[in-house]
Amino acid sequence: METATSTTALVTGASSGIGKAIALRLAADGFKILVHCNKGLERAEAVRQEILAAGGKAEVVQFDVADKEAIEAALNAYFDAHKDEHLDVLINNAGIHSDTLLGVMTDEAFDSVMKTNAYGAFYLMRWTVRRMLRRRRGSIVNMASLAGQTGNPGQFNYAASKAALIAMTKTLAMEIGSRGIRVNAVAPGFIETEMIQTIPGLEEFKKRIPLGRFGTAQEVAGVVSFLCSKDAAYMTGTTLSVNGGLYPA
Amino acid sequence: MLNQDPVDPSLIQQINDLMASGFEIPPEKLVPSAALKELGLDSLDAVDMLVYIEDKFGIKVEGEKLTSLRTLQDVYNLAAEAVSKSK
Ligand SMILES: NC(=O)c1ccc[n+]([C@@H]2O[C@H](COP(=O)([O-])OP(=O)(O)OC[C@H]3O[C@@H](n4cnc5c(N)ncnc54)[C@H](OP(=O)(O)O)[C@@H]3O)[C@@H](O)[C@H]2O)c1
Repeated sequence: METATSTTALVTGASSGIGKAIALRLAADGFKILVHCNKGLERAEAVRQEILAAGGKAEVVQFDVADKEAIEAALNAYFDAHKDEHLDVLINNAGIHSDTLLGVMTDEAFDSVMKTNAYGAFYLMRWTVRRMLRRRRGSIVNMASLAGQTGNPGQFNYAASKAALIAMTKTLAMEIGSRGIRVNAVAPGFIETEMIQTIPGLEEFKKRIPLGRFGTAQEVAGVVSFLCSKDAAYMTGTTLSVNGGLYPA
Repeated sequence: MLNQDPVDPSLIQQINDLMASGFEIPPEKLVPSAALKELGLDSLDAVDMLVYIEDKFGIKVEGEKLTSLRTLQDVYNLAAEAVSKSK
């Protein structure tokens, strides 16, 4: 494990779905978790309580990942108040989608998805890398998506934001590998969370999945846990697909 | 060079202290004309250094100038420029 008990992992969007599962899993792995949320403060607090009840450590942080100033204010305040803690793991999981066909996609739909998914990860990686450089250690995992690997009709903005994350992952891995800091991405296919409930024709997709079912948030969290562990010490710049064989890459 | 004005000696001293402690550079090598490369510093070290300078002085260094940093004097000048801009 790239952790002793004092190292801290920030999991964005940990108030629900995949992020929540990652927070619980990394807490069980021994990290102190910063359970991040935006609107779901109560849900994040419930995740924190669940971690504490299981004997782990956690605090809640709240900010809009699209708001650079808010990120810096919240993280600077947290780490100024916890000088003995170091952010050794960053999981950029917060994400949104706003699906429609390009011909009728509004600027707002494009901007908001890029701002949250791509800019949010950019701001957080920059903040984090500035600190990890000095420590010469750390692991970053970006939550990409199958859509970012293959493209997906109706998700012009979302697919672009996730492809951007994959390219950022590769580039940053090259930039900072010499300092022992690893950067990887995970590209889930269809995972049973609220996010996919609104997808039209969902059952049809299931038939095309070789493993014959949707994935679970825990199955994504397991891969993230692996990427943050010593077992993945020689992996950086990679994107791991977690899609039941839907797209074998 | 980025700026020709003389740099505040206390700023130079603080940067030199960082170089000596943070990057384990022997103090006698810390002369203004020393090339960063010859001090064993690569571009990531330069980023690390600028982050330190920003945090220490509460200033914002122009990151785009990173690639034009060649010598220690360039670093002093960049820091001095940022300090004077923040006043
Ligand atoms: N579910 C899937 O099948 C699937 C497939 C591929 C990729 N993914 C990716 O996996 C990640 C998690 O998805 P999920 O299914 O778990 O989604 P989810 O249940 O909708 O959760 C999204 C999380 O992101 C946070 N978030 C959204 N906008 C934010 C903002 N502006 N600032 C800060 N936080 C924000 C939310 O926080 P609050 O609720 O607190 O506001 C929430 O915790 C996303 O990046 C998604 O694109 C999911």
